Amino acid sequence: MPSDLKLAAIVGLLALATLAGLIWRATTGRAKRIKSGLQIDLKEIGAIKNGLPVTKFGEHTTFLQFSSETCATCKQTARLFDELEKTSNGVLHIEVDLTHRLDLADKFGILQTPTTLVLDSKGIVKSRIGGAPKPSTIEEEIGHFVI
Amino acid sequence: MSKSQIDPRGPRFGAAITSVLLLIDVYLSLDPKTFSTAVSLLSIIVTLFAIGAFFGNSKHPYGYIFKRLVRPLLAAPKELEDSRPPQFAQLVGLLVAGIGLILGIAGIPLGLTIAAAAAFFAAFLNAVFNYCLGCQIWLGLARTGLIKA
Repeated sequence: MPSDLKLAAIVGLLALATLAGLIWRATTGRAKRIKSGLQIDLKEIGAIKNGLPVTKFGEHTTFLQFSSETCATCKQTARLFDELEKTSNGVLHIEVDLTHRLDLADKFGILQTPTTLVLDSKGIVKSRIGGAPKPSTIEEEIGHFVI
Repeated sequence: MSKSQIDPRGPRFGAAITSVLLLIDVYLSLDPKTFSTAVSLLSIIVTLFAIGAFFGNSKHPYGYIFKRLVRPLLAAPKELEDSRPPQFAQLVGLLVAGIGLILGIAGIPLGLTIAAAAAFFAAFLNAVFNYCLGCQIWLGLARTGLIKA
């Protein structure tokens, strides 16, 4: 292969990877409205917070975050939600590790972690965030419930 | 996989070096005259992936370079991260690059080129965009039963 053609292949590969990265970054962490009306069963998902089972949803909004052991961004996401829980009224953050709960991943059709379900005060799924949520996405989500 | 805490910038530093090496490898693999060099380089990359996959980032040469030469120049990290996600990514890299190496040795140059390009893609996205392979594909693989939790 002539060397300018080889070089073109390399530049093309770099451009393709950059484009893929930009598209991924622009689309990840966005919220998608869910209209199925699905209600979360706290017992079924085995939600535990600070060593105790969670029995109540947040007064306004609950962020149900699904994580896994091989997920580096899950921890950053959890920190973001924890911070939010402290600073906003009626917000609850629950984290469920799917590593040993693949049944839940099947049930909710989850392919990537973190995936966050945004629930209203009754635990009904209002939207779904795939990937690490952007701070602006979270603000919008709270705005939908805390009026 | 062993559980320990590491500086999250370490694996990204390693991924940057890996992606440059893989891009060079793709280039070398495109010419029959330099193809044997591409096979040699890929065997080194595969060895490095194996160290990362089985012994973790802290035992990896890039991890060592990061710790000795790069980290002293940086501020302390905001938080540490679990060592398992990057280790999983190294394992995926090992598999993809390993298949490419086998195909290359078996006389299928295009196989090596495609595998090296695929591994480059993941390493580049990790280094530049903080793309995390363990976040994106682990669950899908586990759900299909290809890997065990």
